[in-house]
Amino acid sequence: MNTTSNSSSFHRPIASDCQPGQRFYVRVLRQDGPRKRRYWQRFALEYEADMNCISVLQRIAENPRTDDGRDVAPVAWECNCLEEVCGACTMLINGWVRQACTALVAQLLQDRPGEIELRPMTKFPVLRDLVVDRSRIFAILEKILAWVPVDSYYDLGPGPRQSQEAQQMAYLYSKCMSCGCCLEACPQFLKIELEYREGETPEAYNARLRTANMRAYIGSHAIAQVELFNSNPIGAMNATERLDALVAEGGIQVCGNSQNCVRVCPKGIPLTTAIARAGRAATRHIFRKWFDR
Amino acid sequence: MQRPDPASIFGRYEFLVRRLHSLIGLLPVGAFLFIHFVTNFSILDGPATFQMRVDQIHSLGPITLPVVEWSCILLPIVAHALIGLIIVARGKRNLLYYRYARNFRYTFQRWTGVVAFAFIAWHVFDTRGWIQESWWVAHVTHPLGGGTFDAARAAATATASVQASGWVAAAYLVGVLACVYHLANGVWTMGITWGAWTSPAAQRWATMLCAAVGLGLAVMGLGALWGMATTVIR
Repeated sequence: MNTTSNSSSFHRPIASDCQPGQRFYVRVLRQDGPRKRRYWQRFALEYEADMNCISVLQRIAENPRTDDGRDVAPVAWECNCLEEVCGACTMLINGWVRQACTALVAQLLQDRPGEIELRPMTKFPVLRDLVVDRSRIFAILEKILAWVPVDSYYDLGPGPRQSQEAQQMAYLYSKCMSCGCCLEACPQFLKIELEYREGETPEAYNARLRTANMRAYIGSHAIAQVELFNSNPIGAMNATERLDALVAEGGIQVCGNSQNCVRVCPKGIPLTTAIARAGRAATRHIFRKWFDR
Repeated sequence: MQRPDPASIFGRYEFLVRRLHSLIGLLPVGAFLFIHFVTNFSILDGPATFQMRVDQIHSLGPITLPVVEWSCILLPIVAHALIGLIIVARGKRNLLYYRYARNFRYTFQRWTGVVAFAFIAWHVFDTRGWIQESWWVAHVTHPLGGGTFDAARAAATATASVQASGWVAAAYLVGVLACVYHLANGVWTMGITWGAWTSPAAQRWATMLCAAVGLGLAVMGLGALWGMATTVIR
């Protein structure tokens, strides 16, 4: 499978220019809370062997003082697995959307000497500093039924066998960690951030946000998940439901074929292949819906 | 299980509208562009040949021709353009951050679409005055200098409108190339949208196919433009 991913460029060998103790700067785009003013702060750090952007943020948390000597609140960020499989630490590093845990400082300083720039993702509402609210991704996965519904009240026995080829393709799609890189780079996926209306209850606000999330573009990660679960022999039993969601408002039709998604996907998922295959499935689905009933 | 929230009124038809937009870009709009270029290319065979081609079109008859023109040319172009403008407005282009060839093609598709629409609107007014109704012709078209094409003197009036000034010729050059790119790249995205070419390898082949189609169309369009710009009718 030929996937046009740039992940290989992330993991190329590093020339050992960086010496322990070498000074470098980290510029962080900060924000104290949702919809608050954004501002830059710069921190000076000393290089340590095998440093990545998470250890950079840990060093800043230990000693949250800017390079001009002001004590500030520590920078907030999210991380979890530290091995590029959870997606929690996704942010813009030197303008590239990627995971902080696999962004090695030596490599970043080799590409742009002296300074590293950290920004939160731009397509999701900022909660604080580098922490964004990615719950829309999970609302989308709910919309497209990104799971295999199995009634587990009694033993159903083994599922149907799958060909090696089908397994290989499914494996590629199953690597998705819902990090949101594809959505960040997508010109058709726009940020949704709602303000509270006067006197609005949290329930009413959440309902309004959910409707907005459900009506907006689902993005290529979700289209690949439709392919994954519809290719599963048991998952295929709900294929019609997923295809209905795929052609609903904010579905596959919003894709504009810029193909940025496949270039930025850290897991090298063949997203554009999934989009085209899902497009074919959508074509078949809509004809069946109109003419076969 | 909780089902997705109901779509908005427009959203319910979003898929249908986007697929129709994709389809009419090729048929009839793309097909018309090809026929239009072939017709006008005949100016290179001389004014008499071009006049004959125009007469063939007008042999459809004074009632049939406008019906065909409105249903197969004007309305599909207007529909394609209006839906296209909504699509452009609902995207947030990011070529400056993601400088990939495919992203350039995506961005350029939107630019050429807008340019082509503006060009076609001007071109159709300049040559045909949009509407051939006597009040409109007397009060709008003629005062604004539009409607210069006369099917009875096709070669003379068509060449005159291209040769009006250097600016007009330049506008034709930009307009023709914008239309050609928009159609050729549009066929490529259409193949993905409908699921004709799915794998990266197939999409690379399709790129070459669409580039060849685009080159062919560019030769036809520029040849026709060259003929219109250089043919002198006495």
